Amino acid sequence: MGEIIQCQEIGKDYRLGTTTICALQGISCTFHAGEFSAIAGPSGSGKTTLLNLLGCLDKPDRGRLLLEGRDVTSESLNRLTVYRQKRLGFVFQTFNLIPVLSAYENVEYPLLLAGTPARERRVRVSDMLERVGLLDRGDHRPNKLSGGQRQRVAIARALVSRPVLVLADEPTANLDSRTGTEILHLMRQLSLESGVTFIFSTHDPRILDNADRVVELEDGGIAGNGSRPQYPAGEVQHV
Amino acid sequence: MFSYARIALRNVFRNKRRTLITGSVLIFGCMALIITRGFMEYMYWGTREGAVRGTGHLQVYNSSFLNKEEMKPLECGIDNYASLQHLLESVPHVRATEARLEFMGLISNGEKSVAFVGEAVQPERQKRMGMLVQVRTGVDLLASTAENPAILGSELAKSLNAQPGGILTIMTMTADGALNGTDVTVAGMYSTGMKEADSRILSVRLETAQRLLATNRVTKFAVALDRTENTLLARTEFEQIFQRNHLNLAVRTWSELSMVYRQVTTIFSAVFAVLGLIIFVLVVLSSSNTMMMAVFERVQEIGTLMALGTSRFRILGLFLLEGLFFGLIGGTVSMALAWSICTMVNRARIQLPPMPMNTEGFPIMIQPLPGAFIGVFFLAVIMMVFGAVLPALRGSRLKIVDALGHI
Repeated sequence: MGEIIQCQEIGKDYRLGTTTICALQGISCTFHAGEFSAIAGPSGSGKTTLLNLLGCLDKPDRGRLLLEGRDVTSESLNRLTVYRQKRLGFVFQTFNLIPVLSAYENVEYPLLLAGTPARERRVRVSDMLERVGLLDRGDHRPNKLSGGQRQRVAIARALVSRPVLVLADEPTANLDSRTGTEILHLMRQLSLESGVTFIFSTHDPRILDNADRVVELEDGGIAGNGSRPQYPAGEVQHV
Repeated sequence: MFSYARIALRNVFRNKRRTLITGSVLIFGCMALIITRGFMEYMYWGTREGAVRGTGHLQVYNSSFLNKEEMKPLECGIDNYASLQHLLESVPHVRATEARLEFMGLISNGEKSVAFVGEAVQPERQKRMGMLVQVRTGVDLLASTAENPAILGSELAKSLNAQPGGILTIMTMTADGALNGTDVTVAGMYSTGMKEADSRILSVRLETAQRLLATNRVTKFAVALDRTENTLLARTEFEQIFQRNHLNLAVRTWSELSMVYRQVTTIFSAVFAVLGLIIFVLVVLSSSNTMMMAVFERVQEIGTLMALGTSRFRILGLFLLEGLFFGLIGGTVSMALAWSICTMVNRARIQLPPMPMNTEGFPIMIQPLPGAFIGVFFLAVIMMVFGAVLPALRGSRLKIVDALGHI
């Protein structure tokens, strides 16, 4: 499997008034195409910051970030917008569906952005809704769906544009344990079917158990220097 | 683009209460503008028609009359008025002309004498011009069978205790400067609507006045046209005729003669401009506030849209589109409601009290001007889009990670 992401000594600082907080420091890691990986760590360890950088939602202050071999560190915001639109998918902890659009329209939205023809849009949206088990809920607005259903719609939205990489920020954190497990299995299944790379930020042990690899963060850096016996199914990434 | 239109349109109705409040401000503001403009137009029309009824569309004078003070009555009058009248009536758009003679003097009932301002007219021509003075009591100059009929201002008649059929004596100076007098029969009383004028005016037939002043001259011609809009066209035609025929005559339009019309239009235009500005500021502030609230409420949503690949330009467009839809809907509702109110008010014929110096009230009428409707519709759209600019810029400049983390 080829490398899809290469992080080379990337770092990110935030300013709080006169204080500068180092959120990420010297992160170097790689992710391979088709992997089902997790970024783990306690609150404040930098999981979301790293995920934001990998998703081109923010730019690192130091180091280089290569996505599909392309250095995105120096790319303009407009080019990153187009890159996200065409190559990336996002799943959020709070689902982040557009409330005024139906489930169908939410899934359709990335295809509209990409200028996909109407007929193809219909086929792909219906196919995605069927795969997440919500074909009969297409005309429902998000407020008429349960938490699990909303996250299924969000997953369908993330995958409908056939991205190379889906980034999921704690996707099971707002779901009960049974629904969370269902969602996890759904993502795993879709990852296997479509060969899309999934990267999660999480501290949900169920995700970590199912992950191909786990990158553990601590205080803005990659933590530990050995295997993680509590995550027997996964592999902990070392520097 | 369709997707953004769909989102923008649905967002307009997302917070119904806020939409209702902002929409109400917009709709009431727009309605106020349409109705005020319609009422103004009615006032303009009323003042214009009133002026035209009094003066005619054009008046023709001896040029000297306008430039110098007469030492004797009709010193600067017009000779050969009959042939000139024939010439004027051959001009296109001229419906009819009327020769008039202005004079002053004293009027007496034998016990009391009062100063008057008189006007001698041609009542049969006045009727053709639609300018025949309507009397309140008695009959007009055309209907009267008396030898020397006169109609008096209502206040003047009251001060002389005059009744229709009564005989009064009028005295004035002739064109040669001598004193002369004649008896007139009171045919009726009329009102100009202004008390001061009503206490001084009287009107007699032209022949009566010419006999009294011992002259064949007239002071001026009043000219009625087929349409008020042709006033300037006819004026130019008259001036060319006067020049071609070497006539020492000058022409004035009704708007030059009516100071009231100029004052009314100036004052109303200023009031409308101030009202428009106030409404513009109110609606822009209100819409801006609403859109700003919408941006604050939708920070995370904006972050999501941008994360999915929506450009900042499109986010900006989304909010501007929302303002545009708000304006289109508000403008349409405003036009419909304003039309209904215009119709209702015009049917109700609500009477307003008399204006200062006037003795008679008048009904409120609102002219539904198509131009005002269309103009205010576009203004509604402009106001709402203008109000959305700042919030839209703010929304489009959000940092994605900050927006996504916003609760």
